[in-house]
Amino acid sequence: MYPKIVMEHFLHPKNVGKIENPTSTGSFTSISGGKAVFYLNIENSIAKDVKYQVAGCPFAIAVCSIISEYALGKSISELKEISKHFLSAYFDFTDEQEECINLALLAFLESIKDF
Amino acid sequence: MESVVYLDNAATTAVDERVVKKMLPYFSEKYANPATKWTSSLSKEVDFAVEEARMSVAKIINSEVDEIYFTSGGTEADNTALKGIAFSNMNRGNEIISTPIEHEAVLKSLYALEKFGFEIKFARVDSKGFVDPMEIVKMITQKTILISVMHANNEIGTIEPIREIGMICRERNIYFHTDAVQTVGHLKINVKNDYIDLLSLSGHKFYGPKGIGAIFVRNGVKIQSFMDGGGQEKGVRSGTLNTTGIVGLGEAARIAFEEMEETEEKIKNIRNKLWERIQNEIPKVYLNGPDGETRIANNLSFNIIGIRNEPLLVALNERGIIAGGGSACSAEGKNPSHVLESIGVRKDDIFSVIRISLGKYNKETEIDTIVYNFKEVVKQLREMSPFWTE
Repeated sequence: MYPKIVMEHFLHPKNVGKIENPTSTGSFTSISGGKAVFYLNIENSIAKDVKYQVAGCPFAIAVCSIISEYALGKSISELKEISKHFLSAYFDFTDEQEECINLALLAFLESIKDF
Repeated sequence: MESVVYLDNAATTAVDERVVKKMLPYFSEKYANPATKWTSSLSKEVDFAVEEARMSVAKIINSEVDEIYFTSGGTEADNTALKGIAFSNMNRGNEIISTPIEHEAVLKSLYALEKFGFEIKFARVDSKGFVDPMEIVKMITQKTILISVMHANNEIGTIEPIREIGMICRERNIYFHTDAVQTVGHLKINVKNDYIDLLSLSGHKFYGPKGIGAIFVRNGVKIQSFMDGGGQEKGVRSGTLNTTGIVGLGEAARIAFEEMEETEEKIKNIRNKLWERIQNEIPKVYLNGPDGETRIANNLSFNIIGIRNEPLLVALNERGIIAGGGSACSAEGKNPSHVLESIGVRKDDIFSVIRISLGKYNKETEIDTIVYNFKEVVKQLREMSPFWTE
């Protein structure tokens, strides 16, 4: 039904939650009303803490988890490399599934846009 | 599928093992084509079985036997009814009235007829999905040739007032079609008492096989054939008969006629207990559709505030529970449920709707498992949701 890594992250998502007084936040709401919100704590250009909230399909939830796991401890320049291309290294996805992936991806990119 | 808790019987049902047993000989032993019954004793035997099945189907809706025509399922029956009546009655008028909560097989057939110049009008439904027969009366004109209203809705369970609508049609010499795919085998239907002229039914919705259904066409109704060819089914529906399917459909109908009342009472009991537990143990869940006796016995459709239905369904599937949803955002087409939209559910909330549809193989002992897993997954999804506050 879903790629194995998507199911793993969907069923056991990492880093779910909110950060009180985050350095930055970013959110995205899809046409169908799904929403993802990322919270980041950045210190010395390193992502010290990454959390998110998401209401979306299993792909969206999994991508939030995958991004958050990768992002922890990474530099801003490394965070800016996160993209659809980056995600395609984790799993294959169709054009139709891009909207689900975008929910997570665009929320995250919003959270680092000012850096 | 004994290892799963199956809660999607409105989508399809498991075939009753008695139906399977009845069908088996017609695959490799009694496989002759009934069309050659005049020259082959094997064909005659198969033809006898087909006619026996036809009698069972007629019995379950109280029609005459020769008013039943076998089709490939409910979709074909809907197409046949709507297009068949429209094209054979064009000289009388071009207007068809229906409702916005019909199954897509009806709606898409109507949209197809629009392209041929037919005028399609939709009677509003209220917030529970009911159509008002008086609203239909106001919409009727001299050009109205057909009214199509489903017997019960597959998503929210609303049982429509088809007898009143049938009477309105009969008084005005307008044909009345009802898509009874969700009710045949579950609710008592009497096409004579309910003034029904055409009715669609489907085998796999009441423990028969997939790929077989029937259309009831009252004697005297002028209908153009949808499938042209060898002239089977009195020319109304050509094509070599799906004899195994027909035998299966007949057996499913026979069983339903005998066991329906007891089965549906049991299902209703489980459904009511399940809903009571869900309401009491999961906060902020809201029923779509009516309460009580105007809702089909097996149906629950409810909104779970703060989460989306697709992750819930996928997570439940991993736990061995299969349910259905109003609209899954990554389903083909990504269109929200037209039924939920028509009863006024907000677009964003449509993606939070779950449908549970029970069947005769569900047990009361499954309620604990269902509620436990629903609660766990809803809690996890709400904890991560930006839309949920305690």
